[in-house]
Amino acid sequence: MGRKSRESRRVRVGVKPPQAFTGPGSGRAVVVATIAWMIPGCGHFWLGRHQKGIVFLIALPVMFAIGLGFEGRLFSFEASQPLALLAAIAEFGNGLPYLIAVGCGIGEGRVVAETFEYGNTFVIVSGLLNMLVCLDAYDVALGRK
Amino acid sequence: MESHFFSMLLFAGFVSLVFSVLMKDEPGDQLRLGVTLFISFVGAAVALGWIFFPFPL
Repeated sequence: MGRKSRESRRVRVGVKPPQAFTGPGSGRAVVVATIAWMIPGCGHFWLGRHQKGIVFLIALPVMFAIGLGFEGRLFSFEASQPLALLAAIAEFGNGLPYLIAVGCGIGEGRVVAETFEYGNTFVIVSGLLNMLVCLDAYDVALGRK
Repeated sequence: MESHFFSMLLFAGFVSLVFSVLMKDEPGDQLRLGVTLFISFVGAAVALGWIFFPFPL
């Protein structure tokens, strides 16, 4: 039994092929990935994958908000604390929600809260998941998927 | 609402949702993978809890 081709898979699932870019493919893909980082799900929206875009647009910011609601902390970029630096990099993956939260001064975190560590986990993992979403949007823009 | 178990369920739900939508294109496949991942997350967490139960804090 042979494996089904990528094109036949697109036909079977009714997925539109990636948009044809007139410029260098990698440049456009970087733009799509940047938009996907800034607003979770919008990269997939731009590429015509509306169902995926809606899910990411709702799920990732909600997960980030739940993390902040659980009194998780938005770590700052301190090179002297490597683990905090890693957490800050992961949280930065949330994009615009992260920037808005930092700008509004939200995310101080309350260490003594029972849900503090859960909040940190939610915020960090939502950022990491958005990074995966960005990479997926990049691959779709390049026509790999 | 603020129980450890509920927080774990919520986390597993979100991660399963995002991974299933990311990895599959058809809604049926997404649902199957999402449910499988969710059950795996919760099952693994419960199993680990029982494994560590005999050990003191």
